[in-house]
Amino acid sequence: MSSWLLLSYKLPTHPSALRVYVWRKLKRLGAILLNETIWVLPDTSRTAEHFQWLATEIQERRGTVNLWRSSLVLGLREEELIDQFKKHVDGEFKGLLKKLHEKNPDLAKLSQEYQQVIGKDYFRSEIGQQVRAKLLELRGETK
Amino acid sequence: MKWATWENIGVDRMGSIWLIRRWIDPKAEFLFIPADTKSLPKDAEPFDIPGTRYSHHGNHCTFHTLLKEYKVQDPILSQIASIIDEADLVQEVNVEPIAPGLDAVCRGIRRISADDYEALERGVLVYEALYAELLAGEG
Repeated sequence: MSSWLLLSYKLPTHPSALRVYVWRKLKRLGAILLNETIWVLPDTSRTAEHFQWLATEIQERRGTVNLWRSSLVLGLREEELIDQFKKHVDGEFKGLLKKLHEKNPDLAKLSQEYQQVIGKDYFRSEIGQQVRAKLLELRGETK
Repeated sequence: MKWATWENIGVDRMGSIWLIRRWIDPKAEFLFIPADTKSLPKDAEPFDIPGTRYSHHGNHCTFHTLLKEYKVQDPILSQIASIIDEADLVQEVNVEPIAPGLDAVCRGIRRISADDYEALERGVLVYEALYAELLAGEG
């Protein structure tokens, strides 16, 4: 049974920019929002640190926040939750793969985008592996 | 002075320890306490512990806070602060290519070290090397 990190928070209504800021950070981390209330990440030392510092930042900005370490008891099955994480990055990896198959792809830009997505690829997406292989292949061709 | 932080140090705390020892308090002693400790040791200055003075503030790492609070002015140290900001926090914009590598090396150092004291000495060496390289202008 895997361990998961759960984060829920409430921010002051103003400034609204703060809400966007926190939301963007959560998206950047690849966290998944369950039932529009709780953000979930797999429990690793890295994700735990990131959630912990985000929670501290929310407190600093006069928000309230709770962070749990938990395991699933009822409801979602573990594989379903993992699938949600995979689906999330797969969408972005597919977009990259499509661009890589176009004529004269901008490899520098696309490889940077790839690096951003693998930062939140917690369950090693198959499509991510394909993007990596394609990038390496194209790098070889242009030499 | 005694300084206290949570055990299992990583990129920000190794950097902060190096900064404290080399630039702020050469006679610093370090204590490592479990992360779930509710009360902090009274005779030690806490750092990189959530909610304390020398910790993350806003979108910045503890190293950055220490630089600012102790008014240490050195362009190379500012650059290292920016690198750790990207290594230790989620950022929307990344401009420091060294950051992810430095984070990985520091995590690895903790894994291969028997305890935080051993990790500390190795981490200090990494930062000494990083400083020298950036100073040479080739970083």
